[in-house]
Amino acid sequence: MKIRSLKMVLALGLVGLAGPVFAQYSYFKPLEGFGIETSLSNTALLRMPMYRNAITSLTVQNDYIIGGTTAMGNRAPFLFVASLSKREMLTLKDLNADVPGQTSIRTGFFRTADQALYAGTMAATTGSGHLLRVVVGADASIRVTDLGTPVPGEGVFALTGNDSRKMIYGISYPSGFFFSYNIGSKAFKVYKNSAVTPAERHVLVDEFHQKPEDYLSGAMVTDQQGLVYTSQPINRLVVFNPADERFTTLSELPAVWGRRTLGRTESWTKTADGLLYGGNAGDGQLFQLDPATRKVKNLGKPAQMNRLRGLCVGADGKIYGLSGASPGYVHLFSYNPSGEGFTDLGNPQFILKAPGIEQGIEWRGFQLSAIAASEDGKYIVMGEDEALSQLLVFPVENGN
Amino acid sequence: MGNKMAVCFFLPKKIRVKVFIRLVVLAGLCQVGVLPASAQQKNNKDNIAFIKYTGFPDAHSTWDDIGYSKQAGKVVVGVTNHVDKVMLYAYDVTTGKMTNHGSLADRGHLRPFQWQAKIHSKITEGKDGYMYFSTDGGESREEYFMEHPAGYSGGLFMKWHPGTDGFVNLGLGLPYESVKDMDIDPVSGKLFGISYPQVHFLVYDPAKNSLKDLGRLGSSHVPRVLFTDWWGNCYYVDWRQRLVKYQTAQDTLLFARESLPAFEGTPGEKIVTGITAYAKDQKNNVIYAITYGAKILAFYPQKEGIGRVEDLGGVADSRSNIKPWGPYVPNLNIGDNGKLYYFVGGHGNFLIENRTVMMEFDPKTKKHTILYEYPVDQLSEATGSDTKDQFGNLYFAGRRELDSLDHSEPFLIKFNPGKKVSR
Repeated sequence: MKIRSLKMVLALGLVGLAGPVFAQYSYFKPLEGFGIETSLSNTALLRMPMYRNAITSLTVQNDYIIGGTTAMGNRAPFLFVASLSKREMLTLKDLNADVPGQTSIRTGFFRTADQALYAGTMAATTGSGHLLRVVVGADASIRVTDLGTPVPGEGVFALTGNDSRKMIYGISYPSGFFFSYNIGSKAFKVYKNSAVTPAERHVLVDEFHQKPEDYLSGAMVTDQQGLVYTSQPINRLVVFNPADERFTTLSELPAVWGRRTLGRTESWTKTADGLLYGGNAGDGQLFQLDPATRKVKNLGKPAQMNRLRGLCVGADGKIYGLSGASPGYVHLFSYNPSGEGFTDLGNPQFILKAPGIEQGIEWRGFQLSAIAASEDGKYIVMGEDEALSQLLVFPVENGN
Repeated sequence: MGNKMAVCFFLPKKIRVKVFIRLVVLAGLCQVGVLPASAQQKNNKDNIAFIKYTGFPDAHSTWDDIGYSKQAGKVVVGVTNHVDKVMLYAYDVTTGKMTNHGSLADRGHLRPFQWQAKIHSKITEGKDGYMYFSTDGGESREEYFMEHPAGYSGGLFMKWHPGTDGFVNLGLGLPYESVKDMDIDPVSGKLFGISYPQVHFLVYDPAKNSLKDLGRLGSSHVPRVLFTDWWGNCYYVDWRQRLVKYQTAQDTLLFARESLPAFEGTPGEKIVTGITAYAKDQKNNVIYAITYGAKILAFYPQKEGIGRVEDLGGVADSRSNIKPWGPYVPNLNIGDNGKLYYFVGGHGNFLIENRTVMMEFDPKTKKHTILYEYPVDQLSEATGSDTKDQFGNLYFAGRRELDSLDHSEPFLIKFNPGKKVSR
């Protein structure tokens, strides 16, 4: 009995000792994680100035991290190239030099087999966004071709494409028109029947006081058959069939009761087996869509906040994503479809080194807006949405 | 003390009573710090006093939250239990009376979910005679729970009038974020704030109820101090420890090209934390500042552009066993004699192990002089910037360590380098 009591006391003591350890704040700090300083005001270094650098589009081609930004106010956004291996900025292009009057590249990039990147822009004053073709050269040079305005007076809010059909698809802002662009013929087509209806607008705007950015689909994806998936108000998961140019509602987006009007897709990724994973901005659910069966599976919320701004697939087979947004704090998470399910990795905090801060400083990612995997899936790259935004990069375990 | 009492037991009763009374008086004086038992008194003991806050048994600490009301002649301090109760105290510099003016929760009409763990900002006087400050989550619930309903609802701007006792809650900074420090544009009355943990620079105009979030300026560890110049411009630092000036006339931020001086080898976490204290000498157009990397700087502000910065060296003479960037100095005052006064030590960063020292620094000769030395159970940390009354007395928000479990007792430190101070 005495020995048992002694063991009990010892056990309680250990619990007591363990308590403070569990209580400590821990960040996601893999040793090999690093930051790249991409924004800094008043410097001779190659950096983006304040308020023009929120990284809202991101992709990786070979060693190059390619980003597109969103500016605040009427300022112009940038396209940039940073080196994964050198961990530094290489090239910066002020979009105003090629396409004046634009404020945001928020669509992400769609890449074709010829390594061209397609992205859309938003404009503050005229409202007329443009479709861009961006080519990054071997020397990290950035060449931009303005392909014109898909919908006059409207910005480009979301975009995807189908390389085999040589088609680009998008959603306009603020009306929510679905449009297509034929890369070969350079022709735009606007599907007028896809816009938000007056009845829907009445509910969304008059009743729930939402803005278009609160209900328009912020992300689209194509499956292996070339079908295009997006969302339309209110809370509908929709597929567009290019063969008959018809829209079909597949199901409701997974939603929390009472919040259907907030439902919209804002991120997608595709796994090697052809399954699609999407994020619902309204309450931050991750869902799986099987294009073969058209069944939607609600996988739940990685963290408490709404929003799910980005998804990508790592070489370890896990899906990495960004859960939450301002005014909360973004949590990096992973989802392993065949293993542990969700893992909340929290705020990443990596060492950032650059000329002048060679000793390194720790950079904590609070507001992350974009995430992309390197082509081999061995690195995950995240971009911030701040007044001065940086890149955060970490290697995937078992990615070698 | 125990041994002395034992000796007393063998003395005649009359003498025992006298000795006992003397010991009680001595113990009381030690408690308020007038006679630090083991202090190295290179300055006169009459030049410094430790003054208690009364009527708050849970009082734990003070955190830079001190300021002087010129209009009322009172030093105002926010004293916290470091959980959810902050009491506002005012010390009348003429009468020496310390008064408790109630809790922020009661005065600010806060609900339980709006708990505030401390005031971490300076307490600064506006043209209207109000003392302005901001509030902080400052404990585990904020750090870990964040936007969760059990977390922190956010820091508030507030003001209290030491003359009329009027109290106004000016509202939230950012949701879930503390307002770690604030200052006021003495010309326009605009308030500046810095949020924690996201390091957002805020500009709040009470006249228009307009809050602007100018965005994130820092890295993973939030610089605790911002300060203003005589034209109403406000200064902070970015993650490279470069001065960032909010140009009040233009409503824009201006970044210095170069980082503030730092010792070679200063670790990144010291660099990103920037400035810990400041003291202004308007007559000579200089603002003295101390960095988290233990440098003393003289900053000469100018109305337009960023002014010149002069490196005045370290906060102490070099010691072989101390890294030059190591000592922690979260406080600074300037005497009428033009010399700087500060306490070195706190948060585990001492010049002399587990001892807090008060330093005099002459910016002209760059000479350091240790005036007092205290064990941590007498003084473990002092905070506060630029708090001086009309008599030339300097004030710091001090506290002493009670045990190794972070229990402490706060008190007001009053010091005058040239005169005897009264309590």
